[in-house]
Amino acid sequence: MTTVLQCSALGWAVKGRAIVAHVDLHLQQGETLGLIGPNGSGKSTLLKLLSGIRRPCSGQVQLHGKPLASLSRRDVARQVAFVEQQADTGDAVTVRDAVELGRTPWLSALQPWSSEDQRIVDQALADVDMAQMPERAWSTLSGGERQRVHIARALAQKPQILLLDEPTNHLDIQHQLSILNLVRALPVTTLIALHDLNQALQCDRLGVMERGRLVALGTPAEVLTTERLRDTFGVRGRYLVDPEDGARVLRFQPI
Amino acid sequence: MMARGSRLVLITFACLLLLAAAVIAGVALGETPIPPSVVFQVLANKLFGAGFVLDPIDEGIVWNYRLTRALVAASCGAGLAVSGVVLQALLRNPLADPYLLGISAGASTGAVSVALLGLGAGMLSLSMGAFIGAIAAFSLVALLARAAGGGALKGTGQIILAGIAGSQLFNAMTSFLITKSASAEQARGIMFWLLGNLSGANWHDVALAVPVSLAGVLLVSWHTRALDAFTFGVESAASLGVPVRRVQAALIACTALVTAVMVSIVGSIGFVGLVIPHAARLLVGVRHGRLVPVAALTGAVFLIAADVLSRTVIKGQVLPIGVVTALIGAPAFAVILVRGRWVR
Repeated sequence: MTTVLQCSALGWAVKGRAIVAHVDLHLQQGETLGLIGPNGSGKSTLLKLLSGIRRPCSGQVQLHGKPLASLSRRDVARQVAFVEQQADTGDAVTVRDAVELGRTPWLSALQPWSSEDQRIVDQALADVDMAQMPERAWSTLSGGERQRVHIARALAQKPQILLLDEPTNHLDIQHQLSILNLVRALPVTTLIALHDLNQALQCDRLGVMERGRLVALGTPAEVLTTERLRDTFGVRGRYLVDPEDGARVLRFQPI
Repeated sequence: MMARGSRLVLITFACLLLLAAAVIAGVALGETPIPPSVVFQVLANKLFGAGFVLDPIDEGIVWNYRLTRALVAASCGAGLAVSGVVLQALLRNPLADPYLLGISAGASTGAVSVALLGLGAGMLSLSMGAFIGAIAAFSLVALLARAAGGGALKGTGQIILAGIAGSQLFNAMTSFLITKSASAEQARGIMFWLLGNLSGANWHDVALAVPVSLAGVLLVSWHTRALDAFTFGVESAASLGVPVRRVQAALIACTALVTAVMVSIVGSIGFVGLVIPHAARLLVGVRHGRLVPVAALTGAVFLIAADVLSRTVIKGQVLPIGVVTALIGAPAFAVILVRGRWVR
């Protein structure tokens, strides 16, 4: 297993309050690593630090063994795409405009827009099931449609590593499942913050954030124990078995 | 894709052609209309030594009076409009305007200090004073925004608030100076200058305004993809590979410099930097590759037209051009606001 993205002793604080502290994480090539934790546990901030759009107060992020700080923003963006939560705009852009932005790190005055860029954008639109509405105005899209456009934009970046901050928020169940299936099927390494623990069970590995620290890391079965659900999430969790295929499903109750 | 590249070339070419037509019209129109054929002959004489025999008065009006006005107006309109596009994109605020950064307020204070207090002991011209005032005010605003955390990725709101505070401060200083030391005649002259005035435009002004405006437009054109990347905010731009701080610093400094030069030459001409970008968006959409050239052209043509109006609306009197731009710009802005294309 090769490590593609890693951080050591990573920390970020605002006004003396630590939001992320002492996080060590190695993202292995090709895996889907889920990041779970209660609200305010530092998942979003950790993703922003790993994508390089925030500079850590302490520690270091390395991309393919090189310190992130030593790479240009463009080099990072060609390898790492980040889908933030609920990014919005008041500009009158279309779906296609928004997805075309994903090609930004690959274009310059000397590398103008090409038919290859066009093809990548079309493919990204198709991947998120938006190919039939490229000319729709952003302001007319539902929350779920916007999220799918953001994911298409990230796919258009052709990244090796995809960082997603709760991408299934606002999506109906059909699109939640299709986005997660899509993400799992992509030939990229994925770090995905999730709220739905049953969805998190599908990841290769899970990391649990609690008050800014990574308190557990391992396979879903190792990590999502009843003790962990009680201590970190404050709920009583029980595994039930689907009689049809033997899959384990979590059921939650208040303590 | 070929179609995009050639379309951009086509747009640019059409823009330049329209601009040339506007300059010619701006020179031809006035209280004494001059036929375009004479305008062309004067240009041929002056530029290529063609040797047409012309009325020297006409020749003087065209070459030394109206052409300089039209060129300064065009540079100023293009510079302000593109500055508006940049600030609206970077600050993610549709109400951003080049004067928001305290520049016009600072320029006023600088000009008034020179005119009334004799600052610089006659060594400084009014426009030099305005330029120094503009840069001083912008520096203050930028420092204040930085101290308030505007340097951070999120705090684009800080520079707007800092700009408002800075503008208020410098406007108050200007009013204080005028009230304290100006005679009624001086006050009227200063008011006229503050509202924008092209009547003094000479070839020295052209030699300053045209290169500055051109350089500004070119620098911004180089960054159109980066400006597009700000569509979904600053963090999104960063994740798309834009070196956010460097682009913000370079482009905001560029708009400040361009605006300061323009204000120092012609005074503060309102609404161009605010309204023209929105009008241009209605014409060609929000993608900056098209928006920047079209906004530059629209701004240039608009200001030439406003200058013609300011010279012809009242017989025998020249209105401050800022009055004309505001009289057209404010209702135009209201229409855009109601149509609401740029807000949801």
